[in-house]
Formats: sequence, C-alpha cells, structure tokens
Amino acid sequence: MAATTEAPVALKKNYLTALKEALDEEMQRNKLMLCQGEDIGRLGGAFGVTDGLQAKYGVDRVVDMPISEAAIIGSAVGMALNGMTVMAEMQFIDFISCGFDQIVNMMATYHYRTAGEVNIPVVVRGPAGAYGGGALYHSQMNEAWFCNSPGLKVVCPSTPYDAKGMLKAALRDGNPVIFYEIKELYRKREIEEELPTDDYIVPLGKAAVRREGTDVTLVSYGQNVYHCLEAAAELEKQGISAEVIDLRSLVPLDEETIFASIAKTSRVIVVNEAPMTCGFAGEVVARITTKAFHLLDAPPSRVTRMDTPVPWVKPLELHVLPSVEKIVNEAVRLVRF
Amino acid sequence: MSAKSGSATAERAEQRQGSRRPSESLTREECLELFKQLYLARYFDIRLIKEKKRGRLRGTLYSSHNQEAILVGSLFGLQPTDWISPIHRDMPAFFLKDIRAGWDNDNRIGMTIEEVCCQVWGKVGSPGRARDNWSHIGSKAKKIIHSTSMLAGTIPAAAGVTYADRLQGGNCVALTYNGEGSTAQGIFHEAINYAAVHKLPVITIIENNQWAYGTPTDLESPLEDFADRAKGYGIPGLIADGQDVFDVYDKVMEAVNHAREGKGPAIVECKTFRAYGHGDHDDDRAQKYRPAEEVEKGRQRDPIAVCRKRLIELGHLTGDAATSFMAEGKGASEATNDDFPPEVVAYLNKGIEAAIASPLPAAEEGAMWVFKENN
Repeated sequence: MAATTEAPVALKKNYLTALKEALDEEMQRNKLMLCQGEDIGRLGGAFGVTDGLQAKYGVDRVVDMPISEAAIIGSAVGMALNGMTVMAEMQFIDFISCGFDQIVNMMATYHYRTAGEVNIPVVVRGPAGAYGGGALYHSQMNEAWFCNSPGLKVVCPSTPYDAKGMLKAALRDGNPVIFYEIKELYRKREIEEELPTDDYIVPLGKAAVRREGTDVTLVSYGQNVYHCLEAAAELEKQGISAEVIDLRSLVPLDEETIFASIAKTSRVIVVNEAPMTCGFAGEVVARITTKAFHLLDAPPSRVTRMDTPVPWVKPLELHVLPSVEKIVNEAVRLVRF
Repeated sequence: MSAKSGSATAERAEQRQGSRRPSESLTREECLELFKQLYLARYFDIRLIKEKKRGRLRGTLYSSHNQEAILVGSLFGLQPTDWISPIHRDMPAFFLKDIRAGWDNDNRIGMTIEEVCCQVWGKVGSPGRARDNWSHIGSKAKKIIHSTSMLAGTIPAAAGVTYADRLQGGNCVALTYNGEGSTAQGIFHEAINYAAVHKLPVITIIENNQWAYGTPTDLESPLEDFADRAKGYGIPGLIADGQDVFDVYDKVMEAVNHAREGKGPAIVECKTFRAYGHGDHDDDRAQKYRPAEEVEKGRQRDPIAVCRKRLIELGHLTGDAATSFMAEGKGASEATNDDFPPEVVAYLNKGIEAAIASPLPAAEEGAMWVFKENN
C-alpha cells in the first residue's frame, strides 16, 4: 500500500455512540463507577448504548439487573452512600414510573435531609420521546414529574456533542441527574458530528442558541429542537426571522439565555412534546411572564402535545404531537399579534 | 407472645440451629450488658412518652416497648464496619448500635445519645440538623442508613451499600429492620430478590408485632410465618422468639455468619407484640381495634423479664441484683426512674440536657442543601 498523504477523514459520530463513549471514558476514569440496568451487559442494552462495556469492565461493574426499576435505582442510592458513582439505565424512560418512589423520596431528598452529609452521584438515564410509533408506554417525556421534585437535576441533550459532554458532566456532578435521551436521535444520520478527541464536558444548566433570529424566539429541547429549526427555515421563507434556543438542561434552567433572546425578539413560543397541563413549557412561560414581561409584545405561547397519551398509529400520533406546521402557524399568529 | 410461634415453629427453628448456640459463648459481662441495654431502650421509650405528655415534644412517638430484645439482640453481634437500617419503631437502634464499645466511649461508631435526643427535640445538634422528624435519621459516617416513611424503601439501599462494599474489598453485612406489614410492599420483593441474585450480605429482620397500624396480620398476608417469604428467594428464613434477646442474637448471628461467608442474604422473623398503638396519637383508638385480651396476652412475656429469668438460670444474677429494677414490665404510666439502673437514667439525661441546650436551626436553613454545590 502506498504511503498516504491525505488528511485523516473526520469520523462523524451519532448520538448513541456519543453516549457510549461518555460511559466508557467515565468508567475508565473512575474505578468506583458502575453501570446497571436491564439487559445492559450480555446484550449491550436494548438500543446498544452499553454495547461492549461488560466485556471491557466485567460483570461486577456492568450489571445485568432483574426487571426491577425500584431496585435498580434504590441499590444505586446505597452504592452512592458507600462511595460509588452509578449509571442506572431505564430500558425506556417510561418505565421510570416503576422506580418513582425511590427517585423522588429517597434519591432526590438525601442531600437535603442529611444537611449535606450525603450526596448521591447517580445518573438515571434512558430513551425517551415520541414520533416513532412507540405508543403509550414507549413514547413519553415525563420530565415534569422530576422537575417538580426538588433535589434532582433534569437534562435532555439534542446533539451527539451534547449527549457525550452532558453525560460526562452528569456523572461528575455529584447530584442525582435524570438524563433524557431521545431514542429517535440515537442513529439519525443527519445529526452526526465530529466529536473532540480530548476529554470535554458540557456544563449542566447552560442553554444553546441554535439559530439566531430577530422576530420570534422558539424555546425547546430534545427532538423538538429540530422541529423548531425546520420551522425557522420555513418561517424565513415567509420573511419571519426565528431564533431557536435549545435549553439542554431543565433543572437548573438557564433563564438568562431565554430572556436575552426575548429582549431581541419580544415574542416567544415554548415547544415540547409533553402534555400541556403542568408540563415544563408552562414553567418556562411562567418564568418569562414573571421576570421578562416588560420585554414582550405578545403573550408567551406554548406548542405541546395535546393532553392525551401518545397513540400508536402514525396519523393519530402526529395529530397530538407538536409539528413543524403547528410551530409555524403559532409563530405567524404571534408575529401578527 | 403470639400463638403463631407454636411448637411447629420452634421445632423448625431448632432444626436450623447448629449444635452450639452463639449466645452460649457470651461471657457473664456480655450477658449483663445485653440486660442493661434492654433497660436503656425501655427507659428511652418510657421517658419520651412522659416528655411528650408534658408537652415538651412535637411529632409522633412510635414506641419500641416490648420489642427491645429484637434491637438489642440483633445489634450485639455486629462489627464496626457493618451497616444498619432501622425504621420508625427502632429509635434505640440509632444509639444502641455501638454501646458495646462502652457507655461513654469517644471512639464509638454508633450515634451518640446527644445526637438522637437533638433529633427528637428538633434541634440543630441532630444529624441532618432536624430537617426530618423523629426517627428519620442516619449517618453515613456511622454506617446507619437514613430511614424514610416509605416502608421497606431502604432495603435496596442496604443491598447497594453491601454491593459497593464488596466491590471495594470489604466484608460488611447490613441489617435492615422492617415491620411485618412492610413485607407487602413491592420494593421488599425487588430488593431481596436482587440481593439474593447477587448473594449480597443483607439480613432482613421482620419485626412481626402482629399489627400494621390498625390491620392484623391475617389481613396483611396469607402466611402464618413471614419468614416463609424467604422460600421465594431461595434464601434462609429463620424465626426467632422476639421476646428473648438471646434467641434473637442466636438467629441473627446465624444469618450474619451465613452472609459474611458469602452465602447471601437471609430473612429473620422475630415474633413479638406491639405493646401500644401504632403511634402515641393512636394509643386510645388502639384499644378499639385490638381486643383487650389479645393485648394482655401479647404483653405477658416482657423481654426484660425473660432476660432476667435467663440470667438467673445462668447464675449471672444473684441476690439483690436478681430482684432490683423493674421486676414486672411496667408501662409508661407506672414506671419511675427508680425502676432503672442509675447509669441508664444518667445516660439519657445527658442526652436530653444536650438537646434542650442545642438551638433550633436558623429558618434560612429550610432552603439550604437542596443540591450539592459544585462551584
């Protein structure tokens, strides 16, 4: 073979690979870290996020657990109490409800009730989100349950870069973190990107401006960020300039970036795929009306899932979920307000 | 003692028992120490009931009266590296844990009586600075898992603690305390099943006091013996006479030795009887949902009297010592300080004085420590 003088081809990585690299590197870095969940070892995870980790780190540090979400989370709390960092995988984030008590009463409150003696470095992560025909129990975004439980950080990356950097940040944070991954993004080719070869983190609590604009601010996270970007492209054709903010982190929330954008646009729509009533979009709107009312030229608005479960068959599913069209229509309405 | 600990149960327990019972190796001093710890647990309970009746305390007291032998007998065989996870009715466990090291030993690993009393009085000197009530305390440094109101909810944490310990080269065991009612919780099953799969050294103690608040055992489970739940996990299920501190010590030590050898978890059911209501708020109503004759019968075998009888048989208590201090199991209304060894009274008084002297937490603390600060 002839010696090559070509520059190395940049290898783009998908969202799932980014997550796997984060786990691998953190397990390498921290000997007191372990991973546990259903089918994460021999199988490598239902989606493959932990593929290969058990072969590398052994059955004691990559643990195949019984189908017992409460035990997965509760035992992680005990491990944290005794010096370890734990990644606890929910096979689907919907199943986190089976471990709900252990999260909100045990894990979330431990630091508080011990006045800081104990901290719980546990990351509960799992695939979330709709748009894939997962139906009622494989499509949820239940982040509001945990945003309403003081003591938990709640995050949701939308890009491979963020997925890796935020998972590493979460595992080093020292607080319990509920980590929402978007399963429809795991292998999405269009969002693959080159990742730094050096260690890096994306700090929790910082939003990203994904597109600059001057007429309306679209605030979102997870898969809906891409819907907002598509909507912004569509709006541009109509002469409307939309700014798109990816919150990335819900707790803590980066209000500063939201308010700075509204100072430019004076209009805002919060987009997320959870139901509207008591959803996180409502919290963002409340903060805006309380603290940034003077910046607004129109009432802050929401585009969310209808107050329904997520149905299975495609037309039904798309009917109840946020869409590019719904976002565009709402933006046009606000600009004309 | 309940009718449920009949001869068949005793026979089964006897079969599981090795040829030599661990308690037969206890020295006279150790036996007397066990006896004194029963008094200490009882005095703590009786004194707190009185303090509450005087209006000096807020919150609800969950009495350990008549169940002290379970706490004392189970804790007595532990090592300093072991973990415990007591619940609401086990408050003496928080300070009994390490009393074997000496009544005023600065190097003790259990909580001090001052810390526990500060918790009861809601003062800043308590672990967690009085941010949760009464028995909801614990200590990472002292290896006591913090209890919650979600019954059986700390068993998975105990399992996780031992998993982490084993991974780090340790050989600890963890004792969890649970009412028989909490065995109906899903988390009870999940946690023990998980511990059994990984052979984790977690001992689940079931304090079968016959009543889950206002519900009797036959409405809690179809099982006669709650130890039978162990069969479902493929682990040993032992039954102890919860009124006999030596029998509790024997059965728990058997389970502890089993666990420490890497053979995995066990369940130890201790048969006992709840002397009062679920909490002190419930004492009057308890007389309505519980037949008087059942209560009378359940209180007949007081753990202090049972222990005294045994010590006399062993020749460890003779003369005046055999008859002093609370010959009958007196309740809070009739017992006085004279019923208890002076060092027991002095020990608790020291804690109470510290609690009264300790300030209330500053109001601003209510909003602190939600998150670990990383800045």
